[in-house]
Amino acid sequence: MNRAPGLKTYAVIYLLFLYGPILILPLFAFNDASIVAFPLAGFTTKWFAEMWADPNLWKALKNSLIIALSTATLSTVLGIFAARSSVRYKWPGKPVVMGFIMLPLVLPEMIVAMSLLIVLLGIGINLSIFTVIMGHVLMCTPFAVAILTSAFQSLDRSLEEAALDLGESAASTFRLIILPLVMPGILSSFLITFTISIDEFIVANFLGSGQPILSVYIFGQFRFPAKVPSMLALGTILVGVSVVLLAIAEYFRRRGIARTGGKDTGGFL
Amino acid sequence: MTFSPDRPTMIEFRDVHKYYGDYHALRGINGTIRAGEFFSLLGPSGCGKTTLLRTIAGFEGIDNGAVLIDGKDMAKVPANARPTNMVFQSYAIFPHMSVAENVGFGLRRDPRSRTEKAAAVEEALEMVGLKGYGARAAHALSGGQRQRVALARALILKPKVLLLDEPLSALDKKMREHMQVELIKLQRQVGITFILVTHDQEEALVMSDRIAVMFEGQIAQLADPETLYRRPNGRKVADFIGTMNFIPCQILSETGGRIEVEAKGLGRVMLDEDQVPPARGEGEPVVGLRPETLTMLYPGQEPQERAVAGRIDEVIYFGDMTYYDVFIGGTDVEVRLSMRNVPGRPVLDVGTEVQLAWSPSALVLFR
Ligand SMILES: Nc1ncnc2c1ncn2[C@@H]1O[C@H](COP(=O)(O)OP(=O)(O)O)[C@@H](O)[C@H]1O
Ligand SMILES: [Mg+2]
Repeated sequence: MNRAPGLKTYAVIYLLFLYGPILILPLFAFNDASIVAFPLAGFTTKWFAEMWADPNLWKALKNSLIIALSTATLSTVLGIFAARSSVRYKWPGKPVVMGFIMLPLVLPEMIVAMSLLIVLLGIGINLSIFTVIMGHVLMCTPFAVAILTSAFQSLDRSLEEAALDLGESAASTFRLIILPLVMPGILSSFLITFTISIDEFIVANFLGSGQPILSVYIFGQFRFPAKVPSMLALGTILVGVSVVLLAIAEYFRRRGIARTGGKDTGGFL
Repeated sequence: MTFSPDRPTMIEFRDVHKYYGDYHALRGINGTIRAGEFFSLLGPSGCGKTTLLRTIAGFEGIDNGAVLIDGKDMAKVPANARPTNMVFQSYAIFPHMSVAENVGFGLRRDPRSRTEKAAAVEEALEMVGLKGYGARAAHALSGGQRQRVALARALILKPKVLLLDEPLSALDKKMREHMQVELIKLQRQVGITFILVTHDQEEALVMSDRIAVMFEGQIAQLADPETLYRRPNGRKVADFIGTMNFIPCQILSETGGRIEVEAKGLGRVMLDEDQVPPARGEGEPVVGLRPETLTMLYPGQEPQERAVAGRIDEVIYFGDMTYYDVFIGGTDVEVRLSMRNVPGRPVLDVGTEVQLAWSPSALVLFR
């Protein structure tokens, strides 16, 4: 069975390189020393306590959650409209419009952030977490559209027609047939856009006007060496939360697929 | 065929045209479908059968003409308000619902009580032979069962017209033949007008009271199965339905609808009016002769009408019948006839000299 030992080694090294550093995080988060270095000094939870006690963290977390939840909701809703319309309807200029919707996917974030900043200041809009949400929606919508387009595409058109044929209106058909069947796609889209938003730094930094936002806050704390271990503690919690969230989302996605007897075509991307 | 021709009209097509962009998919459809009829739209793939069916259901608008259901112009009636229900080619079973939820879907706006609706669902399931399947997940059913669910779901609303788009094409042969019989029985039982789309001529002949044969967006012939089979109105129809021998011929004289022809190998024949469909300009004139109207004579046996001598060129053995290709003696042209042997006869060898009995009334002239 060892037909490609080279490939196997490569895969192992690749995975180590990818996840090794993340494993370091909890190691030093529980290490009883303010300097991040080996040898380990002993077990402690004081970094967690220190992190927990910082009111700025809670402000940043609250702002970030507001931003990420709003972004995920808005871009998923916009994504539903765009994907549905591009899959199901014909309208003039569709390729151009869809192209422009997807463009932020390849635009350098820095450029987007700078131009947004200039425009917003130019038209006199005060920077706040709302401007961050705007920027994030712009960035995240293409991801939502991409995920949802494939969800809508895999929907058999005659299901809609069957519902119409059986007396339902276009609106109730959407609610009763289409929405439940694309729900796994909607969940995926929500999760991905949420994740992109919560750790996004450039737009948050440019458009956040100094409001505490998680990514900006963490970056700021790293300037003080004494704060690093408590940031590692925060990172450990974030990794844990991500894993739990992913597991829940995957559970619902699989259940959705199993319930409709569909084929599992892999993860949510 | 229990069908009586004096039933009222259920569906009427008046010069229906449909374009997909530049493509002219329906090119002037005319005709009527009667109430309680088992009607088939038959034609090769791409001829517009599904499109025509969808104009009845209301999924496809038309660019010219009118579709009338029960005397009412459907131009402004949306799909969800038409007295039709459809069994889709893919069955379109809602995968996130149970069998009962699927079947009862159309009753959502029905004012009846929950228990009455449940009873209606159970009754519909029983009608299609799925009694007790209500709680099952719809996506876990077999192809044949899905189709029954689709049928029950459409019939529970008691539509005036049931539309079926190639409902049997996804089933295996055994199941298909079984479902053909079931569908016929079901149609007799409920008395609803069934309109079936199929590209399978055998299926159409077996199941239908009347058939519209379509080519390239037009109805070539609309008739009962026997007429279609015995008196196809053109070479294309004759070729599409069953098999037919085409024998080159010369037109000798035309007198008041009757035509005398000289057919290669068969000789002079006088054809009646009903054996001469309108000329279509489909090339050199030919007479058509169905293989099963030919009989192979025993040595010494006298033909009832006419006989022609030939030599067996090819034998294809099917068990219940045998196909022969027979050369009959044209002076300058060799003519191949295929025919079915009578069951129970010994299979003849290639090269055997035989006599074929044929009947002039079995001929149809195409010109
Ligand atoms: N939505 C559509 N857009 C463009 N062309 C179509 C569409 N639906 C059908 N057609 C074309 O119209 C013709 C008839 O199609 P259809 O009615 O589905 O044929 P059939 O059911 O007889 O096989 C085909 O050539 C097909 O390609
Ligand atoms: Mg079709």
